[in-house]
Order: sequence, then structure tokens, then C-alpha cells
Amino acid sequence: MRSTRVLYLRAVGLRLLAGVPVFVLVTFAATALSDLMPGSAAQTILGDSATPQQIATLNAQYGYDQPLLVRYVGWLGRLLRGDLGQTLYSQQSVFGLLLERAAVTFEIALLAMLVALAIAIPLAMLSALAPGGPLDQLVRGVSSVMLSVPIFVTVVVLGFIFALVLRWLPATGWIALTSDPLGNLRQVALPVMCISVSQAAYFYRVTRNEIVATLQEDFVLLARAKGIPTAYILLRHVLRPSLTPVLAVFGLSMTYLLGGSFIVESYFAVPGIGWTLLSAVKIHDLPTVQGILSVVVVVYVLVFMLVDIGYSVIDPRIEIA
Amino acid sequence: MIAEPRAQPPQARGTLRGDAVAAHRSRSQRLGAAQLLDWLAVTYLVLVVLAALAAEYLPGLAAPTASVGEFSQAPTLTVNGLLGTDALGRSIFSRVIYGARASLAVACIATAISLTLGLALGMLAGFYRGLIERIVDLYANTVASLPPILLILGLVAATGPSLFTITASLGILGIGTYARITKGGVIAQAEREYVLAARALGAKDSRILTLELLPNLLPTLTSVVPPLMAGLIVTEGSLSFLGYGIPPPTPSWGGMIAGSTDLLNRFPLLIFGPILAIVLTVFSLNTVGDRLARRISLREGQL
Repeated sequence: MRSTRVLYLRAVGLRLLAGVPVFVLVTFAATALSDLMPGSAAQTILGDSATPQQIATLNAQYGYDQPLLVRYVGWLGRLLRGDLGQTLYSQQSVFGLLLERAAVTFEIALLAMLVALAIAIPLAMLSALAPGGPLDQLVRGVSSVMLSVPIFVTVVVLGFIFALVLRWLPATGWIALTSDPLGNLRQVALPVMCISVSQAAYFYRVTRNEIVATLQEDFVLLARAKGIPTAYILLRHVLRPSLTPVLAVFGLSMTYLLGGSFIVESYFAVPGIGWTLLSAVKIHDLPTVQGILSVVVVVYVLVFMLVDIGYSVIDPRIEIA
Repeated sequence: MIAEPRAQPPQARGTLRGDAVAAHRSRSQRLGAAQLLDWLAVTYLVLVVLAALAAEYLPGLAAPTASVGEFSQAPTLTVNGLLGTDALGRSIFSRVIYGARASLAVACIATAISLTLGLALGMLAGFYRGLIERIVDLYANTVASLPPILLILGLVAATGPSLFTITASLGILGIGTYARITKGGVIAQAEREYVLAARALGAKDSRILTLELLPNLLPTLTSVVPPLMAGLIVTEGSLSFLGYGIPPPTPSWGGMIAGSTDLLNRFPLLIFGPILAIVLTVFSLNTVGDRLARRISLREGQL
């Protein structure tokens, strides 16, 4: 048993190590952003009416007049102390701000994933039972249409239906989970719905194909020959081996989910990471932009690590390396 | 855009077999409808491309920035009123067609950049391995691990939105995907007999790469281009929807959808034009991509 634990620890370490260059590349590029600004960075950020005094203050605080490498090393040094800098105008701690906003995005993402899986997996099992049958064709058709609807169309359409026409759900605004859990649930309903639509279609597609393939395996034939009911075979024999590729797309769909959360959060005015990024972009708040990029890249390295290791948890035949 | 898996699922158990059986079972009943759908998708795409290219010469079509009448008019049976008019009295039909031009231009130019550079880098990485493979892998992993829209928004925070920024950055970000696919293809093909034979005949590396390997990589690459282009169109649309894409007054589908949301309560019909245009385009591209991918897996299956 102990050797397994060592193996897992080694796998975690190796993947974290592999994530380091990715992290460096992204954060370095984020530091370089101010060099891409037309003219002097401080001037662009403050606008044409800025006095030389204001520009000097900004440069002193954020070091935009320093060479790129110096800025990056300084940024890394502060990062080690858990300091991601201050936001440009409100002078909040970027780290504290992101922690607060990430919780909102995380809640929506988690709920959207659960809803998507809850829709996709049962449908996938049902339609894989009779590939090519009417149910299979119908759901496949619907899912391929859903996959072609960009999320900015989904938010507009679902927002129109549920908030404007039916008036079931609030269109915008936010109630914190801690202050009013039920009110929070009403607020997140529309964002969660919008994200989970295409997510469910995607999960459905992958799971359905995989279950169809697993159903051809010899052990399923054996189980059928023994007279085990189909529902039991599906749940006990087929589902788990079919989940490996679902796990693979799970990591990937995090990318998609986050991209989608920018649209959803901006449209429904949900104060999450995406909304924060968009408001930061509007006012050239580079410290916040840089903070978000770094946090997101760390989350991704962790998610991909978990996904990689998850393969061998789901399917012990897969050796971990 | 949904990126390809960073780590392929460790094994694909009997996927081909299962699909083949499923396909066989349903072939007779599905063939007609599926083929019709594929042809409809191709026809739609051809029409969109032609309309985008020849927008100026379409008879009776107003300029996308010209006012053709009252604002927010419901659709009528005239060329310019077909999809109604927007909040500034401009023809939505005309703007949808000119919007196709913007979307397609971004998608095509970005694809050209990613495909050429990604192909070249991926071939070198797959053929020579070593340092260049590590660099290509690092780049591909990095761009695959972040949503493109996040990276572009970061860039836009510094440079401000412009057609050039968006096209160039989409093109450069896409290099990773094409390089990874190409690399995988080269590694898989490099062990095949025909490469060995060419080597045994004394062929140089450059000849093996361009004359032996390249033709065998093209089918796979062709099949991933349409869905990836669909992804580009969606990303460009998302950026324009957020107000950081194609700057107005140039029409773009995402921008038009964003513009119609303000008046959605009073004029819900006017949002259908751009929505229909982008959904049909993405759907058609995905359909064509699926068809191409299926043909390739059949071809590989016969080998």
C-alpha cells in the first residue's frame, strides 16, 4: 500500500514540476503586457490629461519604467510573499479581490458541471442502448445543434425567455451564498443553465460514444449471457470503464467553462472572475489582469494534474507514471 | 473553443469496433438524411462565402452603415428589410452579410497563420524530437491550458481592441493546436513501411518530410480545420459581443447580437438575423468537419 502512495506522490510532484514552465511563460507574458502598450504605459493607463507627477507616481508604484526582467523578478519576489499587488484605482489587494471573486465563479462552474453531468450521463446511457434508434438520433441531433450555439447566444436567448418573458428568474444582480442561500440559488440559476447547456451536449456526446464502445466488450456479453438485467449491466459494468474519456474532457471543459463564464458573468452582472477581468480590461488595470492570468494558470495546472491522476483511480489498469 | 485533450485518454478501447457496429446498424435508415444534411451544410457555407466576397455587388443591398429607413422596423419583404432594421435604421440583412465578411476574414487569416506555422513546427518536432519537441510541447500545453478569450482580453487590456490584434493573436494561439496534431501524426507515420522504404532508398530528411509524410498528414489536418474555424468564429463573436472585438461601425455578428439586447424587450424579432447566421455557420462547419473525420477513420480502418 505504501508503494502506491509513493507512486501517487511522485506523480503529483512530476506534474507540478511540468506546470512550472507553463506558469512562468504565462506570467512572464502577463508582465510584458505593459510593454505592448502604445507609447508609455503610464501615459496610456492614465489618459492624456495625466500630469507628469501622476505618471511618476504610477511608475514608482508599478515600475512601468523599469526593464521587463526587473519587473518580472520583482513580481515573482512579491508573489512568494503571497502579494499579487494592488488594483490600479481602488488600491485593493489583488489577491484578496480574486479570492472573493473566484468563489463566485467556482460556485457557478461547479453547479454547471453537476447539472451538465446529471443531464448528459442518463441520456447517454439511454441512447447508447439502442444506437441508431429514434431516441439516440433525436438526442444526438439536439446535442450537435447545442454544440453549435455560442454561449453569447445562449445567454441572450435564455435570459430573454426566463427573465423577460416568463419573469421566473432575476436577470441581473448577485446575492451572496452566505447572506441568503435561496436567493443565491435563484441568482445563479440562469448563469448555471446557460453554461450547462453546451456542457451537457459535449459530455453527452463523449459518454454516449464511449458507452456504445464498452457495450461491445466481451465482459458485457458474458454478463448478458448470465442473464443479468440490462439496467444493472449499464450501471455496474459499463458506466465506470466508460468514464475515462469523460474525465479527459472534464479537464478540457474547464477551459471552455471559464471562457463561457466571461460572457455569462458580464451579461448577467455576476461578480466573478470573468466580470472582474472585463472591468479590469476596460480601465487598463494591468495588475488585476496579471493576477487573474496567474491564478487561472495555477488552477489549470492543478486540474490537469488531478485529471491525469484520476485516470488510474477510475481504471486501475492504467498505470500511473 | 474547445481544445484537444492535453493528455490523450490512455486507451481507446474498441471505439472503432463499437462505432462501426452502430454505424452499420443505422446506416440504411440514416444515410439519406445525413447526406442531405452534409450537402445542406456545404451549400450554406458556399453561399455565405460568396455573399461575403461579393457583398458590394449584390443587387439592391444597402451599405452596412447606411440608414435605410426608420429604426427597429420589423422584417418586411424587401431586400434590405428582410431581417428588419437596427436601432440606427440600418439594414440588418446587409449587416449580417457584411458581418460574415468580418467573421470569415478573421477565421481564414488566423487559420492560415496557425496552419502554416503549426504544420512546419509540428513536423520538425515530430520528426527530430529532442529540444524542438519540448519547446513545441510547452507552447502547445500553455495555450491549450487557457481559454483563448482570456489571453486575448489580457492583450486587449494593453493594446486596445483592433481587427489586427484579434486576428494575429488568434492565429498565433492556434499554432499550438495544429503543431500538436501534426506532431502526433508524424510520430504515428514515421514508423510506417513507406517511410522506411524511402529512407532505405537514400531519401533526404527534407524529401521524406515534404513528399512522403506531408501528403499523409493532410487528410487529418483538413478534417480539423472546419471545427477549429468554427471555434475561431465563436471566439471572435464572443469578443465582439463583449465589446472588445471588431470595432464598430464595422458590422460583426457578435456585436450585432450585443446591440440588439438593449432593445430585446420591445423588438425581440430583430436579434434573429445575426443569431441564425452564426449558429448556422458554426453548425455547418462542425457538420463538414464530422463528415471529413468519419471518412478518414474509415480510410485508416481499411489500412
